[in-house]
Amino acid sequence: MSEQGRFEEIVARMVELKDTSELMIDLAYSALMLNSRELADEVQKLEEYVDKMHTEFELLALTSEFKKEEASGLLGLIQIGVATEQIADAAAEMAEVVLRGVEPHPVLTLAIKEAEETVAQACVSADSPLVNKTLKEARVDEDTGMWVLVIKRGGKSLRPKGDTRIQVGDILVASGYSEGVDDFRKLSSPEETCTIE
Amino acid sequence: MPRFEKIEYKPIPVSDLMLEMKNLSELMIDLAYSAALFNDKELAEDVIELEARVDTLAYLMDMEIMVAARDAKDAEALIGISTVAAATDKISDAAADIAAIVTRNINIHPLVSEIFEKTEKQLTKATVKEGSLLVGKLIGDLDLAALMGVDIIAIRRNKDWIIDPKDSERIFLNDVLITRGAPQGVKDFKKLAEASLLTTEAQK
Repeated sequence: MSEQGRFEEIVARMVELKDTSELMIDLAYSALMLNSRELADEVQKLEEYVDKMHTEFELLALTSEFKKEEASGLLGLIQIGVATEQIADAAAEMAEVVLRGVEPHPVLTLAIKEAEETVAQACVSADSPLVNKTLKEARVDEDTGMWVLVIKRGGKSLRPKGDTRIQVGDILVASGYSEGVDDFRKLSSPEETCTIE
Repeated sequence: MPRFEKIEYKPIPVSDLMLEMKNLSELMIDLAYSAALFNDKELAEDVIELEARVDTLAYLMDMEIMVAARDAKDAEALIGISTVAAATDKISDAAADIAAIVTRNINIHPLVSEIFEKTEKQLTKATVKEGSLLVGKLIGDLDLAALMGVDIIAIRRNKDWIIDPKDSERIFLNDVLITRGAPQGVKDFKKLAEASLLTTEAQK
């Protein structure tokens, strides 16, 4: 592998580690708030994925032939990698609470609802501008500061990708800044013709 | 050697402790990455201070939970809280480890900025310049989350960092703002702060 190619690989792995570890925290809080085993299982699966990716990242960094002056900079990257792995572990531990089968204490649900970064769900009604848009086109994050984590459709939860199309009746689970929750709900169901709970 | 202070028991609602631990742990991750990305030692030191605060909260939380359990059923329900609180503590430890890379003068490879340009949620640093719409505004009035999907996580003013500014905080000329959010949002916000964008595109 060329030196340039190696750099690009290291960057790609690190981006994946950071994004996945943060996604896992959001998913773990969602699992707790909704008492959802399905989401908690997803967190556990991602934890295994992060472990694997983290090992590959470290191997890649260690087998690179960098110049001596670059070694310290690389050490910094390796340490950030270790931190992302710890964050992923912490998320997996939170998810275990749900998998034990004891309903999460109301204090937890309250803390998640009232926190600065929160989790919310909304259903998509026929008059929503989101209908038939892909997640990428919908730009929910740019418009509300909430990131769609999961789409619940027909009793199943799916982890959306950029090209996943939003349909009427979908329930969107999103995390983000609490100030964005109202806008997120209005975007999904402008006339509040559908509500969950 | 670190010095450990004796922490006195005081009755604090478990829900208050949990809320603060959750908020701090998530804020700390963003601040720690910002410190690494912008190679900012003082911000890194603030993260390490916040870590000590989370440790105190974790200790108080343990005491509250032990006091609250009256029987086995209580204990079972409270273990969930204890586990989640411990996880937020672990997250804040990880954030402090990232901050320590900066304070211990371990260089951060230039690659790191390239990494941060590609992540889903991005961090940006912007200085408020003359003519910016932001000058004199309260953070709460800006409604940044709804307009651009960004959040201001720290302000540097007169050599001090204001961490996690409240809605009632006013923005002044020459403030350095660290924001986190959607990629297009943080770009627009930077332009807004540097007065090269005079209306927010989101104001349709």
